[in-house]
Amino acid sequence: MSLPAHLSLILDLSPVPWTALSHSTPPLSLRAFLAQALVFLNAHLALRNENSVSVFGALPGRSVGLYPPPGRGHGHGRRQAGGEEEGSGGGDENTFHVFGQADEGLMSRVEEEVAGLEEVEEDTPPALVGALTKSLCYINRLSNPPPPLNPTNAAPAPPHARIVLFSVSQDASMAYIPFMNCIFSAQKLKVPIDVCKLDDSEVIFLHQASHLTGGAFVHIDQREALLQYLSMCFLSETETRKTLAVPTQDKVDFRAACFCHKEIVDIGYVCSVCLSIFCTPVAQCSTCHTKFSPDTLLRFGGSATNGHSNGTTA
Amino acid sequence: MSGAHTLPNQLPPIHSFLTTRPQTTLSRLYARPSACLAVFRLLDDVARQIVMSLLWLDSKTGVDLTSWVAPNETARKHYTAAVQGLVRLHIAKDGNGRILVLPAFQAGLRRALTGGGDHRSFGVPFPIARGKDAMTTEQLDDYALERWESILHFMVTSGSAVGRVAPPSNAVIFLLRRSGLMVPIGVEKSPESRITSQGFQFLLEDSHTQLWDLLLQYLAMSENEGRDLVEVIGFLFMLGSMRLGQEYSTENLSDTQNVMLQDFLDYGLIYRRYPDDGTRFYPTRLATTLTSTSSLSFTSSKHEKAASEGFIILETNYRLYAYTENPLQVAVLNLFVTLHSRFENLVVGRVTRESIKGALANGITADQIISYLTVHAHPMMHKNSPVLPVTVQDQIRLWELENNRLKSDNGYLYEDFNSQGDFDLVLSYAKQLDVVLWENREKRKMFVREDGHENVREFIRRRAEA
Repeated sequence: MSLPAHLSLILDLSPVPWTALSHSTPPLSLRAFLAQALVFLNAHLALRNENSVSVFGALPGRSVGLYPPPGRGHGHGRRQAGGEEEGSGGGDENTFHVFGQADEGLMSRVEEEVAGLEEVEEDTPPALVGALTKSLCYINRLSNPPPPLNPTNAAPAPPHARIVLFSVSQDASMAYIPFMNCIFSAQKLKVPIDVCKLDDSEVIFLHQASHLTGGAFVHIDQREALLQYLSMCFLSETETRKTLAVPTQDKVDFRAACFCHKEIVDIGYVCSVCLSIFCTPVAQCSTCHTKFSPDTLLRFGGSATNGHSNGTTA
Repeated sequence: MSGAHTLPNQLPPIHSFLTTRPQTTLSRLYARPSACLAVFRLLDDVARQIVMSLLWLDSKTGVDLTSWVAPNETARKHYTAAVQGLVRLHIAKDGNGRILVLPAFQAGLRRALTGGGDHRSFGVPFPIARGKDAMTTEQLDDYALERWESILHFMVTSGSAVGRVAPPSNAVIFLLRRSGLMVPIGVEKSPESRITSQGFQFLLEDSHTQLWDLLLQYLAMSENEGRDLVEVIGFLFMLGSMRLGQEYSTENLSDTQNVMLQDFLDYGLIYRRYPDDGTRFYPTRLATTLTSTSSLSFTSSKHEKAASEGFIILETNYRLYAYTENPLQVAVLNLFVTLHSRFENLVVGRVTRESIKGALANGITADQIISYLTVHAHPMMHKNSPVLPVTVQDQIRLWELENNRLKSDNGYLYEDFNSQGDFDLVLSYAKQLDVVLWENREKRKMFVREDGHENVREFIRRRAEA
């Protein structure tokens, strides 16, 4: 029952939606959001001594690891984020020592990264996939620690990992394929992806991510109560969720994006060999180069010149 | 290990202790954010989530969480048990299903999570010493282990004439006697102590449980001595939230807490770099993991490291190989294993009927032996399922059963019935009540359990009158 838990936060840090959010009603500035996210992280660390966290940021066009700070050893095979091995910092008599560590660096790191953005970058969609991949890699490394040097030492139990993704911008349908691959890796690692949607834009891929990995999906209606949402819906661990349920999305939009134009399609044409999706019938699959028979093409498109694939997707 | 083994409705020992305290005491305790955090961390998963869900709400009437509970029987039971636990600890109030986190606890835990304030309840760090002056975690672990094991080793060898170790301080012995783990040999004031069967059982527990067992006794003792319980528990929880390898200052400690510091020095909970310098101390891993639910894992540089991770190989032929050179572990094994040979890093022995019988006579149960062997099984053993050979497990249990061949029941013998008819009538009545333990129709005798005696006697009297 009491396995350590790892929480990985993914923050969407695109400046344009954040500026919009801080001027909306009720306003939610990045700074206010980070403060609440930190309390949420503290709450997770408070649950158990062995709990650990990591934070990744998705900036326009690139993703960064925000915590744990790069370059520092992560204490493999030992306790993560218990922080007992590092003797830095004098400490504060009014704060639990484990909390102080995460608090210090994160806020300044985020501001540094956001301030360092160049004007031209601001329109490019956030590299959510990059951040998600980094997070999954980190979790994978935690769950498969390198074999201990001394074979008599039993490896410590790998933590239960979870990802909470904070989204403020809409889906980038360009990234459909890598995004789905991330979802499949998360499924394989048994990592639920929880999605916390802070604005009102449409995110069908994130719906699918939380649905397919068994995570929670919450759209924050009252932004002033963010912390309450966080601690009620996103704090509970995988085991606890069997007793106290978390909100999921009952209407999941399962539409996919086509491989040819990266657009979300209502009816798609699927290659019978490699399952690639196309928005119009094509003569030859662009992924696996299978040629489709003219008869099938006739049945679907009516245009007898080129081959088609069979089947539709929902 | 308490977290791994307790059922949802069982509170950890310290919480059971806290629930017996008056609400005013607990409210005063919850004024310290570190205490709130510690109490919170020792709750079980569901209770923690309930507290977290309600922590940031400012509702005066509470919230009904039942709609969040998964719709199945186990989840509902788990939830109810968790809520009851919270109510008993005066963390929350349950008004017709609407649950409200009480303001004292709410404020304390909020303060702990957000940081800041000037309560200084997480301990005042001493300005860091650099270089050779600072203690490494390995040194602290070595020290704590050495202290703790010397207490256990003293206990385990106290019964035998050979291999005795130097006794720990009088305060420790006093506490061991108080908790019933040891008794004085002969007269009450005798300096010599002997381990009790409770003590033997204590030895087979994991160190986290052992530590809390002793600390609970310490709490009870402090209360009897008229110390302020809030200060005592508050200090324990403060220690539990300190950082290993950091030196702390005593400047904000009360007199009571300074006395405790001295006591804990004996248990290995804290370390003083300079024994004469009363202004600073290091907490050891025994102290900093007090509020953790998992068992201790020392990162000691010495051989204890391997030993704490499992060292016993038990074969189906009852042979036992223990890769250890730790005298305490050898001594504990010696309680129920006949040891044959001893090498540099290996002890070879055999589980025999005599050795197990000896252990059973000391009050150790078969289950305790089996769980000790399982917990300390060598990693290679974990490839088997179950970890221990079934034959050996069964045999240990059978040996225990041998002790219980006779079962005694209290009851009354009925004899000298006037006629066979009378006998049959009473017998059938007694059988209806299901209280007959033995009967003999030829001799017109039967034996009735104690709890049935009243009814049967009354039945006979009524028959005689009629």
